[in-house]
Amino acid sequence: MIVDENNKWHIRSETFFGCAPEGRMDMMTAIETEQLCKSYGKHMCVKNVDLRVPEGSIYGFLGPNGAGKSTTMKMILGLVNADQGQISVFGEEMNRKNRLDVLERTGSLIESPSYYGHLTGRENLEIVRVLRGADKREVDEALKTVRMEKQQNKKAGAYSLGMKQRLGLAAALLGKPKLLLLDEPTNGLDPAGIQEMRELIRSLPERYGMTVMVSSHLLSEIDQMATHTGIIHKGELIFQDSLEHLHEHSRKRLLLRTDRNGAALRILEELGCRGKMMEDRISLPDMEDEKVALCIASLVRQDIGILRVEEYQRNLEDIFLSLTGKQVSL
Amino acid sequence: MGVKKIGLSACMKAEKMKLKRSFIWIAFFIIPVIPALMGTGNYLQNIDILKSEWFSLWTQHTLFYSNFFYAPLIAVYCAYTWRVENFNHNRNSLMTAPVSVGCIFLVKLLNIFRVTLLTQIWVGILYVLCGKTAGLPGLPDVVIFYWLVRGAWGGMGVAALLLLVSMAIRSFAVPVAFGLAGGITGLMASNSGYGMYYPFSLMMMGMNSNKYEDVLGGEGLQFMVFSTLYVVLFCLCGIRWLAVRDVKA
Repeated sequence: MIVDENNKWHIRSETFFGCAPEGRMDMMTAIETEQLCKSYGKHMCVKNVDLRVPEGSIYGFLGPNGAGKSTTMKMILGLVNADQGQISVFGEEMNRKNRLDVLERTGSLIESPSYYGHLTGRENLEIVRVLRGADKREVDEALKTVRMEKQQNKKAGAYSLGMKQRLGLAAALLGKPKLLLLDEPTNGLDPAGIQEMRELIRSLPERYGMTVMVSSHLLSEIDQMATHTGIIHKGELIFQDSLEHLHEHSRKRLLLRTDRNGAALRILEELGCRGKMMEDRISLPDMEDEKVALCIASLVRQDIGILRVEEYQRNLEDIFLSLTGKQVSL
Repeated sequence: MGVKKIGLSACMKAEKMKLKRSFIWIAFFIIPVIPALMGTGNYLQNIDILKSEWFSLWTQHTLFYSNFFYAPLIAVYCAYTWRVENFNHNRNSLMTAPVSVGCIFLVKLLNIFRVTLLTQIWVGILYVLCGKTAGLPGLPDVVIFYWLVRGAWGGMGVAALLLLVSMAIRSFAVPVAFGLAGGITGLMASNSGYGMYYPFSLMMMGMNSNKYEDVLGGEGLQFMVFSTLYVVLFCLCGIRWLAVRDVKA
C-alpha cells in the first residue's frame, strides 16, 4: 500500500497481506478474484476488483452503502454473472461447471436473511439441511450455536429481525461449509445483538476452521471483528491488507506550528527529522521525548518561534475518510 | 473434492415441506367444489335431456371445471411455488444451495404434478359424491378415472409454461390471469380442431371435457407425444432462464 502526495492511499499488489509476491505462495487464498467487473446499464458498480481473501481469515469487506459489496459477494456465489474477470474459491474457478462444487463448500447470508414465514425456524433449517445434504444432528447444533433452541418451533414470520438474522446464520452454518459469506449480518440488530453476532462470527474460524468474509459499512464493526480488510468505494477496491497493517498507518505523528514553517522544516531536515507540511503545520513522524526536546531547542536557538506542538493520531475513521472521501458510519 | 450429490428426491422432500401450512390447500379444497356444484346443478336442471347418467354428469362437471377452473388452479399452484421464493430473499438461499438449476425447476414441476394429481383425485371424489347425491345408480365407469389421470398429464405442459411465467414475472395475479385466458382460448382452439397443438386444449382433451365419447379416440399416442413435447419445451426454457439470468431476490 502506498500514500500519494495528496495523502490518498493505493494498493500495491506486491504488499498484499504484507507479503512479497513469492511470500503470497505461502498463504492460501479462500477467494481470489481477477479484474472482476459488473455493470447495470451504464453504471459500472464493480470495477476491476482483485480480492484476496486468505484462508482461515475473517475478511471484513468494508464500504459505504452502494459501493458494490453485495454485488461482489453475489458474483462470488454465482447469483450474479460477472461481465468480466475471474473468481476462484479454494483454487477452483467459479463457473457453471464448478458451481455446485463451490457452493457445497460455501455458506452464505446475502442481503437479508432468507426464510419461509409460514414455517417454523426448525422447519426452515430442515429445508436447508436437506438441500445441503447435511446430517440431521446439524440442525440442533446450528440452533445451539445461534442460541435459538427455545424459539425453534415458532413461525419464522413472527421472529424479530435479530432472530431472523440468527436463523439466517444458522442456515448458513449447515453443511459445515469451509467458507462463509455474510452480507451485513448485523443490520437491524440492537447493540446486544450486534455484540452477540460479532462474538459468534469471531469464533467461527477457530471453532469450525472456516474462512469468513463479512461485509459492513461500519468501520468500527470490521475493526472489532476482522483480521483482514478490503475497502471498496464506488465499485473500486481502494485498500486491501491485514487489519494489523491498516492500524500501523494510524500511528502517532507530531504536529508543529511555528512562526516560520519553511525555515523550521529545513532545520528539522538537517537534524534528520523529515517532516511535511499539513496546512499550516509541520507533520513529523513520532519520535522519542529526548529527540523532540532536541528539535525544539534547535529551532528556538535559531530564533524560530514555536507556537504549538501537538501529538496527532489518525484513527481508522480518518483513514477511511481519506480513502473514500466520505464520512464513515459509526 | 467431489460434490455431495443432492438428488431429485432430497429436493422433492424440501419442496414438499414448503407446502406445509400453505394456503394453496384452501384453493385445492374449495375451488373444485364450485364447478362440481355448478355442474351438478346444471345436470339436475336438464335431467330430461341428459340421459347418460354418470357420463352426462361428467359432461356437466367438466364443462365448468376444465374450461374455467382447471388452468387457473394450476396457475395458483405455480404462482405460489415461486411466490414463496420471491419473499424474504429466498431466491438467494435457493440458488446458493448446491443443487443444479435443472433440479430446482424440475422438482417444482414434479411437485405441481403431485398436487395436480391429488386435485384430480379430489375432483373424482366430488364427482362421485355429487352423482350419488343426485341419485345416480352404482358407480361411474372406470374410464372416467383414466380421463382424470390423463387430464393431469395433459395439464403438465400448461404447468411447465405457467411455472416459467411465474418465475419470470414476479406476480401472483399475472399467471392466474394467464391461466384463465388460457382456459378460454383452449376451448376455442379445441373447438376449431387445433387442440392437439395448443397446451391449454390438451388439458381439456385429456379430461375428455364436455364429451360422452372419448374425444381422443385413436389419437391417444399423439396426445401423449404433444403433451410431453410441451413439458420438455417449457422445462428447457425455464432451466435456461434460471441458469443464465442474474438472481433478483
